[in-house]
Amino acid sequence: MDGTRVSRVRLGRLSGVIAGVLAGIAAVVLAGTAVAHRIVEPASAPFIEATHVPPLLTARGEEVELRYDVYCGNGEAEADVDTPCAADGVVFVRAGDAGPFREMALREDRSTAEGRFVAALPDDIARSASGFSYHARFQSDQTGLTTGVPAGGADAPQRSLPLGRSIEVALGAHEFGRARETDARVVEAAWGTGSAEVGLEQGRNLTPLGGSAFDVEADGTVVVLDEANKRLLRWRDGRAVEALPVTVNGTLADMTIDDDGTVYVLETTASQGLNPLLRVFDRQGVAQGATAVAGRPSQVRVGPAGPVVLQSQSAQWMPAVVGERPVAMSEQVGAARSGRPLPDGRKVVILRTGDQVRVALVGNAGVLRSWIVHSETPVAEVQLAEPRGTGIVLVTRVFTDDRGEYVVLVLDRRGVTQRFSVGSVEWAETAPLSRFRLRGGSLYQLGSTPAGLFVDRFDLEVN
Amino acid sequence: MSSARRFLVAFAIAFAVAGAGTASAYHTQWIAQNCNWAAPTPTSYITRDGSITVALYARHEGYQWGGGCWNDNNVDDSPGDPKSDPNTGGEGPDCSGFTFKVWREAVDTSSTAFHQWWRLRHIHGPYRAVHFRDAVGAPNYPLSKSAAIKMDAYAKESHIGMIYVTNADGTDQIIEALGEAYGTNIWTRAYRGNSLYSGVRRLGWSQP
Repeated sequence: MDGTRVSRVRLGRLSGVIAGVLAGIAAVVLAGTAVAHRIVEPASAPFIEATHVPPLLTARGEEVELRYDVYCGNGEAEADVDTPCAADGVVFVRAGDAGPFREMALREDRSTAEGRFVAALPDDIARSASGFSYHARFQSDQTGLTTGVPAGGADAPQRSLPLGRSIEVALGAHEFGRARETDARVVEAAWGTGSAEVGLEQGRNLTPLGGSAFDVEADGTVVVLDEANKRLLRWRDGRAVEALPVTVNGTLADMTIDDDGTVYVLETTASQGLNPLLRVFDRQGVAQGATAVAGRPSQVRVGPAGPVVLQSQSAQWMPAVVGERPVAMSEQVGAARSGRPLPDGRKVVILRTGDQVRVALVGNAGVLRSWIVHSETPVAEVQLAEPRGTGIVLVTRVFTDDRGEYVVLVLDRRGVTQRFSVGSVEWAETAPLSRFRLRGGSLYQLGSTPAGLFVDRFDLEVN
Repeated sequence: MSSARRFLVAFAIAFAVAGAGTASAYHTQWIAQNCNWAAPTPTSYITRDGSITVALYARHEGYQWGGGCWNDNNVDDSPGDPKSDPNTGGEGPDCSGFTFKVWREAVDTSSTAFHQWWRLRHIHGPYRAVHFRDAVGAPNYPLSKSAAIKMDAYAKESHIGMIYVTNADGTDQIIEALGEAYGTNIWTRAYRGNSLYSGVRRLGWSQP
C-alpha cells in the first residue's frame, strides 16, 4: 500500500467522523431552537387588588376623603391592561369605633393618577371627637372577584383619630452637612464570613444586601442579624463577643429583642406559596418556634403581650404571638389595629403626609399628646417613633435629589427639647425600618459602606 | 468499522456531549423551553394602572439576572439558580428588565413608543439599572424624588424598583425584581430618601 492510498483511506474515515460530530451538534442546536420558538401565551389567573393610604391622624378642620386604587387582572392575556378596572366600591364608615357602619358608595374620579375611587366623609363623621373607623369592599364587574380593605373588614376596621390640640414643630429648611458626630462607634465589621464579619447576601456584583437588622439589649450589647451567614452577632464595648447560628432563611428580615432576651426575627420573603415567618429564638439562638404572618409584613416590635407585626397593605399592627402561643393568620387579621401597641398599653400612631409628620401617643380615651412636625425640606420615611417618658423620640429622614440625612427630635409637652441630624450612610440594603433603635438614654444607628457595617451610638441629653 | 458506523458513533458522542454541555451551562433551560421572540404589539397609550397590572402578573414569578420572561402561575419555575450568572436561563426578570417591560418601552433607545411585550416574550431591553438612574434613553427622564408617584421608579447603580403605593409612614411599597432568593414581588422599602437612589419617570403616561 503506497502512502497516497493510506492518506485517502484515513481521510475517508475522518470525514465520516467529522460529519457525524457536526450532525450531532446540529441536532442539539436545532432541537433547542425548535423548542425555544414554541410560542405559548396562556391566559393568566384573574385577580383584584386594592390599595389605600389611611388618614390615621386628622388635623382640625381638615376635609377628609378616603381614596383607593383598584387593579384588576381579567384572566386574559394582557391586551386590555390599560382599560381601567371596572369595579363597584363601597365603604362602611362610622363615628368612633363602635356601633353600626354607614354604607357609602365610592365614586370614580378619573382626573387623578392616584386614589381613583373616592368618598368624602360627611361632617358628622369626619369631625367626630372620637374619630372614625371604616372598611371598604370592591367587586370587579368583569370577574365578580371581591377584595376588602383592610382584610379584617368590620372585625378590624381602619381607625382614624383627631389630633386635637397638637404641639406644632417647625423644622424650617434643613441644613445638610452639619450632622452630629457619633458618641461611640459600637460596632465595626467588614463584609465577610469570619466570626466578626457580616455577610453580603448576593456578593458585590448584584445590589448589596446585608446586616439586615439590629437591636440593643438592656446592658448596651448590640445584636446584629447577619442574615446572609444565618447568625446573630453580639458586640459589647465595641468588641465582637459572640456569633450564634440561627435557623433563618437568609433573606432581608427585621428583628427586635424583648426585655428577657427573646429574639424575634420577621422574614419578609417566604417559600413558594407560603407566608413569611416570624421566628422566635431564645437569647442563645435556640429556635423556640415560628409563626406564619398574614399579608406583607414589614416590621416587628415588642407589644404588650408579645411581638406585633406591621402589615403593609393596611398599615395595621397584628399580634403574631401572645405569651408563647402563636396566633393563627386569620386571628392576626381579625385582631389588626391601627397604631403600634406599646408594652405599657399605650399606642403610637404616625402619619407622614406631604412634608409633614404627625405623631400621637394614644391611650384608651384617645390621643394623649400629639405633635405636628412641619419641614420645608421634603420628608421621606419616619424611621423611629419611640416614647420617652411623656414625650417621644422621633427620627425622620429629610432629602433632596442627591442628599439625605436624618433629623432626630426629642419631643415633649413643650415641643422640641433636643434636635440634631445624623448622616445616612447606607450602602447595603436592610429591612426598611431597621436603621435606628432607642435603648435607655441612647439612640443607635445602623449604617454601611463598601468596606463593611457599623453601628453608631448617640447619647441623648438627660431631661 | 464501516463509514456509516463511524458516522453514527461520532453523531451519538457529539449529541451527548453537546446536549450535556448545554444542560450544565443553562441550568434550567426555562427560557429556551417556554419563551418566545415574537415582535411586540405597539399600543397608542399606556396608563399607570395598566403598568401596575402588567407588573402584578409578574409577582411571585422568580428572578433571573439578565432575564425578562415569565408566565403567570405564581411559582418560580427555576428556583435556586446560581446567583450572578446571567446565563442560567431561568424564569423571571431582573430589576431593569422588569422595569423595561412594565414601562412597555422600545428596544430603540431613541424611541418613546409604547410596546406591549407580553409575559412570555423573552427580552431584557437595552437598559441596566445605572442607565435608568442616569435617565439614558428617550422614554426615561429624571424626576425629583419628592414628586414620585405610583409607577415612577427609584434607581441606583445596581438596582431599580417601581412605586406601587406609598405607606402612611413615608416608606413606599415597591414592586421590584430583587434577586434569586426573592424573586419579583412587592416589599416595603425606604429608597425615597436614600441619596444613592435617583428618581426616574417613564415619559408619556395617560391618566390614570
